[in-house]
Amino acid sequence: MSPVTKTTFQLPIGPIHPALKEPVAFQFEIDGERIVDVSVALGHVHRAIEWAGTKRNPIQVLYLAERICGICSYCHPMAFSLAVERIADIEVPEHAQYLRVIHGELERICSHILWAGVAAHEIGFDSVLFLTWEIREKVLDLTEYLCGNRITKGITMIGGVRRDITPEMYPKIHETLQYLKDRFEKLRHVFLDDKTFIMRSKGCGILTKEEALKLAAVGPTARASGVKKDVRLDQSYFAYGDLDFDYVTPDVLTGEVNGDVYDRIIVRLLEIKQSISLIEQCLEHMPSGAIVSEPKIAKLLAKLKTVNGEGIGRMEAPRGEVFHYVKMNANEHIYSWKVRAPTYSNIMPWIPMLKGQQIADIPIVAASTDPCMSCTNRVTVIENKNSFALDKEELHQQSIQKSRRLNA
Amino acid sequence: MRFSMLPQVLGRMFKKPVTNKFPAKYTPSSTTKFMENVSNGTAKMNPPIVTPDHFRGKICYDKEKCIGCKLCIKVCPTEAIEFKEDEKKIRIFLARCCFCSQCNDICPVSCLSMSNEFLLADTDKYSKDLIVE
Amino acid sequence: MTRDQHKTPEEILQSYQNAFSQNISESRIERHITGMKKTEFVHIWIHINRSVFKEGLKHLFQFDECPHFAVTSGYDINDNIDLIYHFSIYHGFPHKELSINFKVTLPKSDPTIETITDLFPGALISEQEKQEMLGVKVKDIPTNKRIFISDDFPTNVFPWRRDETGPQKFVKNLHEVEQ
Repeated sequence: MSPVTKTTFQLPIGPIHPALKEPVAFQFEIDGERIVDVSVALGHVHRAIEWAGTKRNPIQVLYLAERICGICSYCHPMAFSLAVERIADIEVPEHAQYLRVIHGELERICSHILWAGVAAHEIGFDSVLFLTWEIREKVLDLTEYLCGNRITKGITMIGGVRRDITPEMYPKIHETLQYLKDRFEKLRHVFLDDKTFIMRSKGCGILTKEEALKLAAVGPTARASGVKKDVRLDQSYFAYGDLDFDYVTPDVLTGEVNGDVYDRIIVRLLEIKQSISLIEQCLEHMPSGAIVSEPKIAKLLAKLKTVNGEGIGRMEAPRGEVFHYVKMNANEHIYSWKVRAPTYSNIMPWIPMLKGQQIADIPIVAASTDPCMSCTNRVTVIENKNSFALDKEELHQQSIQKSRRLNA
Repeated sequence: MRFSMLPQVLGRMFKKPVTNKFPAKYTPSSTTKFMENVSNGTAKMNPPIVTPDHFRGKICYDKEKCIGCKLCIKVCPTEAIEFKEDEKKIRIFLARCCFCSQCNDICPVSCLSMSNEFLLADTDKYSKDLIVE
Repeated sequence: MTRDQHKTPEEILQSYQNAFSQNISESRIERHITGMKKTEFVHIWIHINRSVFKEGLKHLFQFDECPHFAVTSGYDINDNIDLIYHFSIYHGFPHKELSINFKVTLPKSDPTIETITDLFPGALISEQEKQEMLGVKVKDIPTNKRIFISDDFPTNVFPWRRDETGPQKFVKNLHEVEQ
């Protein structure tokens, strides 16, 4: 950090944070209301999961991986399972690959709708929060019907999935998708045409294409800056190679790419629409077959005890690319496991995004990259010798005040 | 468009609320008293929403069928199952169970199944209600 | 644009063999297929020597101006520490992305390696993590702070190691009940 001059203040925000999902400690250097410089420190919910994984056999690690994150609770065990399947040379039946796509896209819809509600809440638009989360309840009901539980789905198995989707279940799926399609136009109208959203988000928190490439941003954060990066298309896994879709960048809707918060809203809303179409394509072309390559789990465990090798599994979570590296050493427990959640790649881009913004914009810019859980925090502003604390309510109120000022 | 949410908000005032009022319309000031009243019959509890089939709730154990192979213990991610050496049967601690139902899938004689009970709160981790054997 | 001319995995591996013949101890190409249309994807693994590691990374820029850096993984095995750097090139073209993984072996007596943050600024968090978890020393790293472990944890204990500097003393089995 550069030495503090007489006109700038140091503002620490973190570790447990207003608009952020993972506890992160920021140090802002501010001049009046504008942010001049930012530095980031991490590590406040370190749970030693990778170390705990080395004491468990692969099937137990599946459930440990599911609890890394609540919203991306499908991607982590799936990416782990991809890595293990490549080490052990297990071939997944085609029916199971299509089922995996359906569950993944359902999770993407849930996550983007949740994010839409949180973003509206940060701006101060609570009625949109309730509208979006009511839509999400219907999708969670469908997940409970298909998997047995709303969030921790427990549907992954090495070599396939654990439950089948039989043709009797199709009417319920189509009914939920129709409900989503009817409500989608309303969501789109509120988010993209409403004057408050446009004023608060256009021109705010810009990430240029060069910076996104240099800092290895992933997911909708990178796509909103014009970088075409999507693991489902670049290096297809499951059945995505058979399906018909394209990269979602903001110029699909508006024709230009700015890399600001408004573009990220566009990318996420269009992805919801894309997910609905992908699920319909899957249901239409579903091949028949087994749901898992080895139904006797004791035999699977015995096989995994003898393999030796290393493998990687990459998947497109709702927030970006999730990456797992697994090494197995012909032992009951796995030897080494590395998890890279997408938010860790998206933290470095905060620094160029936040420079030049106002303090009241911190919640919406941080929330626009969709970091992973929601917590509250205390912000301390140190001004000469007096320090006073702004807690989450006040930061949130500041954000709402700005909306009112702009509307007036 | 400035007031894009206004039609929604006004329409909602005349519709039934979406939230299911379980267990009562307003939070009771003392939960234990409320439960006593319900068992007496003086108060009424709104039922929760019906769970779908194959919901993963409390585990059910069929003791006669169990053969003591210990496969479920090997696979449990939370080490919630304990083996009783003398009887060659198992004991499941619900305080540690994460309801993944992996033990159901691996059991060779299918003696484990998941019911749809989910109201399992208790004050003591090792109370009788939370141990299945 | 060099990105538009896609080299096949064999050509890429051949160009590495030509440039760094002695310093590549092993390499392999893995091909997997997925879906009904049997789409193929490729992983390339290269075990490269520490002394030419930086040039090996610069060589990657010949194929793609902006390779994507994913993460660094590492583990310790006998007397060495193995670090694996995961990259991918040709993103943006459907079904054409290749994953390239570089493995570097460091002896435990001298676990130093050069930084790559001048080529890939997004790699800073990964390098800090390896420093504190495995005891690797990264030369010229911009900041030496700990990133995931709190500052009051002892500096000579490395959580990912399996030898005497591992965290065995700090592990508590919370679920062991006093009988």
